[in-house]
Amino acid sequence: MIFTVKKRDGREMPFNIEKISDAIIKAFRASGELSEQIKASQDQLDLLGHEDLLTSTALKVSAYAVGRLEAEGKNKPDIEEIQDAVEKALTECGYGVTAKSYILYRAERTRVREVNTRLMHTLRDITFSSAKESDLKRENANIDGDTAMGTMLKYGSESAKHFYTMMMLKPEHSRAHMEGDIHIHDLDFYSLTMTCCQIDLIKLFKNGFNTGHGHLREPKDIRSYAALAAIAIQSNQNDQHGGQSVPNFDYAMADGVRITYRKAYLSNMVKALMLFTGKDEEEILPLVKKLHAEMAEMGMVATLVPNEKFVEAEARELSKTYEIEMVMKSQKFAEKQAFEETDKATFQAMEAFVHNLNSMHSRAGAQTPFSSINYGMCTEPEAQLVMKNLLLTTEEGLGGGETAIFPIQIFRVKEGVNLNPGDPNYDLFKLACRVSAKRLFPNFSFQDAPYNLQYYKPGHPETEISYMGCRTRVIGNNYDPSREISYGRGNLSFTSINLPRIAIKMKSVDLFFKELDRMLQLVSDQLMERFAVQSKRKVKNFPFLMGQGVWIDSDKLGWEDTVGEVIKHGTLSIGFIGLAETLVMLTGKHHGESEASQELGLKIISHMREFCDKESKRLGLNFSLLATPAEGLSGRFVRMDKKKFGNIPGVTDRDYYTNSFHVPVYYKISAFKKLSLEAPYHALTNAGHISYVELDGDPSQNLEAFEKIVHHMAKVGIGYGSINHPVDRDPVCGFVGVIGDVCPRCGRSEGHAISLEKIEELRKKFPGMPAFRGIR
Amino acid sequence: MSEKEKSQYGEGVGFERIRRITGYLVGTIDRFNNAKRAEVNDRVKHGV
Repeated sequence: MIFTVKKRDGREMPFNIEKISDAIIKAFRASGELSEQIKASQDQLDLLGHEDLLTSTALKVSAYAVGRLEAEGKNKPDIEEIQDAVEKALTECGYGVTAKSYILYRAERTRVREVNTRLMHTLRDITFSSAKESDLKRENANIDGDTAMGTMLKYGSESAKHFYTMMMLKPEHSRAHMEGDIHIHDLDFYSLTMTCCQIDLIKLFKNGFNTGHGHLREPKDIRSYAALAAIAIQSNQNDQHGGQSVPNFDYAMADGVRITYRKAYLSNMVKALMLFTGKDEEEILPLVKKLHAEMAEMGMVATLVPNEKFVEAEARELSKTYEIEMVMKSQKFAEKQAFEETDKATFQAMEAFVHNLNSMHSRAGAQTPFSSINYGMCTEPEAQLVMKNLLLTTEEGLGGGETAIFPIQIFRVKEGVNLNPGDPNYDLFKLACRVSAKRLFPNFSFQDAPYNLQYYKPGHPETEISYMGCRTRVIGNNYDPSREISYGRGNLSFTSINLPRIAIKMKSVDLFFKELDRMLQLVSDQLMERFAVQSKRKVKNFPFLMGQGVWIDSDKLGWEDTVGEVIKHGTLSIGFIGLAETLVMLTGKHHGESEASQELGLKIISHMREFCDKESKRLGLNFSLLATPAEGLSGRFVRMDKKKFGNIPGVTDRDYYTNSFHVPVYYKISAFKKLSLEAPYHALTNAGHISYVELDGDPSQNLEAFEKIVHHMAKVGIGYGSINHPVDRDPVCGFVGVIGDVCPRCGRSEGHAISLEKIEELRKKFPGMPAFRGIR
Repeated sequence: MSEKEKSQYGEGVGFERIRRITGYLVGTIDRFNNAKRAEVNDRVKHGV
């Protein structure tokens, strides 16, 4: 006799035959097999009701199954054994159709259980392992997986991914994602929001804005301009899953400098007049203030680079009250003082801005906002002052001399503006190179690349090319060609294709393109599915992004309106990874090694771009091709492909697939050749791209070479590029530069200690040395 | 030996090594995921 059963978790429970018959009843209901028999029997006898017959039949089958178990001597059966017996009992009692539906039901339960178990395993991993051990916790390096909030964010993110793959995605999209044919990025935010946005600070600051907990007035000083810029980035970051960027940092901050200078000039003018005339403040201040206000109404204001119109008019008016000589002396003094004060205030503002962006938190405190700023082409003196000071504070580093991780700075390069000697912002370009050679930022974007230049209208900064730091680029607009601008727009979502897998599976070039087409269509459909979900969201779901009018045209919507129409200005992007491995698979060589491979590479990427353009036309939206950043994705596809197809030399034999269209990082090639080979792909990947080269040693010692590379980028048509070099730091003595095995400043090797005496000796030589923890 | 010579600082403290990850920085390499770490290890320098 059976008295106990063994549950899945190993516990023994009293046996209850009703549990078996309940499951069988469910199976009968699902198959509908018995209802036909019930109908037949009702016609004949009309004795038993539907439920009675169901129950009695189920009990009969259960008893049969139990009999089977007992005959096999299984007196303490486990769940699997019972289910096997039920399956057989159903078949042997003549209920074949129901047996089938029971098997399906069992399989479905197993699947749900496995998913739940996997989720539990994932959550356990998040809970009990440190980021050092858990790759999952380092998926996005910008999130500190060891902190409470980082862990909480990870719980939410992993659970949401499970939910969406099971409940919301179309099965074919879910399968393609789970099996690694494609990767749906930011799946945890699938139904919630869009990727990123270029925030027009000038528009946002006009009349102030609201962060949800109070109104912030229009800023009146460069320091508050910079502070509000950081707050705007932080607030918007909480409404989207990607990064935030400012397309017009130079233009926007210049407004703040103007106001600061005007105020500084006024107060210094008053001070000087007091000193030179001996009159007191009560007399002078109201007089000058009134005069400045009246002049402002006529369009005459004090400017960083003094303008004659203002200076002459001011002198003329003031000389009615004071001696002209005194007035002119006061003007000279005020100009000099105001400039110095404004310069200093601007430096402090930029310093605080960088510090803020590296210390403020978003997303439940788990993340530093992913921030980027674009600048470089505004030639007004106020903007030049902003850029100079921003670069200088970046060069200096954070409080302890650390390299600032945020914001990602993007210096916009253009001939005639800053690239060559004699250009108005050439000195800033030189400074940008010097700072980048030390601190890795700024990166460089290239306005003159033909595919960027085609949108540029002089005098319209909104048509200048802007990148998100990660590389995302939004400028063309098929939905509304009259709005081909970067301001207020961004990516909606993107999904990447596992290119190497297609090559591994198809082997021949012809078949490759066939399968690629199928994959492109699948991704396009998936992006549209997600777009439909995103479109139903309302303004109130994005209190800052939409509620404060940051996103293009969202200021025309009400709180309860859906955002479907305005987000059509955004892009739906198809990404890819591993062109190099794909080419090795198809031709035996990657594009760094062979011209024929480069030709095929360009053919593949052109083909993908043409598909995007075709979809844009067909659907009236903005489909674009992305050279995916793939931080988290770099290892995922290759891990799966290695398992599936084994170790294929040059294809699956490393722990990562080569980023986008890059020439493999391990391949020896000159910087110039690498950039020349990669540049044509920039023209094709209209959703974003980046190329970088690795320099040996400390490029600060060879700025000429550094600048030569940037010039080469401009020449060959790179859209967005940067130069990598090692930036090391010894936290004990604060040295920043290249550190081999031994710190060049204090002479200690990794992990070793130095004496307090040595530290104090060094501090005499390097007074700026940060205080290492524990040293008084 | 004086007190200052005796008190030692920096035992077990490593060097911070910042590298560009994909277009942006993320702090020191120990924050990189396994794949990205492998990639950084493989990176060769490009001659000018």
